[in-house]
Amino acid sequence: MKIKLTSIMVDDQDKALRFYTGVFGFAKKHEIPVGEYKWLTVVAPERDDLELSLEPNVNPAAKAFQEAMFRQAIPLAAFEVDDIEAEVRRLKAAGVGFTTDVTRMGPVTIAVCSDTCGNLIQLYQPAKGT
Amino acid sequence: MRASIAFASLCRSRDLLRGAHDRRVSIRQAAAAAGMSPFHFIRRFRAVFGETPHQCRTRARIDRAKRLLATSDRSVTDVCLDVGFTSLGSFSDLFARRVGVAPSAYRRRVRARAAGSDGVCAPGCLTLMAAAFATFEKRGRPVAGRLPP
Repeated sequence: MKIKLTSIMVDDQDKALRFYTGVFGFAKKHEIPVGEYKWLTVVAPERDDLELSLEPNVNPAAKAFQEAMFRQAIPLAAFEVDDIEAEVRRLKAAGVGFTTDVTRMGPVTIAVCSDTCGNLIQLYQPAKGT
Repeated sequence: MRASIAFASLCRSRDLLRGAHDRRVSIRQAAAAAGMSPFHFIRRFRAVFGETPHQCRTRARIDRAKRLLATSDRSVTDVCLDVGFTSLGSFSDLFARRVGVAPSAYRRRVRARAAGSDGVCAPGCLTLMAAAFATFEKRGRPVAGRLPP
């Protein structure tokens, strides 16, 4: 068994594709129309064997869940970065809204931002050697 | 870990704009409720929610109109006024632009669909995968570890 695919719900797939590629800097892997929606995945530029599916959030139950988590400021995904200070500076300059600024939490440094599609995303940088 | 105070205020102001408390609020009032200047409010709002306060309020109104058209027997004019528009013409135009069909046509379509089969089709999570993988197969891309549809 392998983990090759994970997913996040987004309120608008086109907007999500723009944000996840244009702002976060991921690369589009698949964009296949399926009826009203798309099978839409992105990958990190340096490793394309792990896909993140940007799923249309149209199920009312999923919407309620997503919004409740958002309201409680709980991130629904976490992406690792090499230099969190630089990454946060870059994203802020691109207009990204942060709910938690760069914060040291023991062996990891985190920051939390909005993906503009209904989710909070935690960025984290493990301490060297972990 | 605590989120910034501004974040909670933005969430509350979004509720106001969406009419969660059955109150019609202006962008200025929503900004004041968040304790920000309108300029600052609009900028922060957009960064967090991906749309301006005005776009958010309009979308909420259209969503409410869709729900009322689908589930109630109120006339199109009543629905228009119920959700906060004052002109039937501009409501119908906006609705048609956003939804693709006029309000009355939307009502007919939704009701026909609900009567016809098992109601509204809401694709969950990973259910689109089967169709996507079928496309891979047609293109001849090998797919290892494929899930049954």
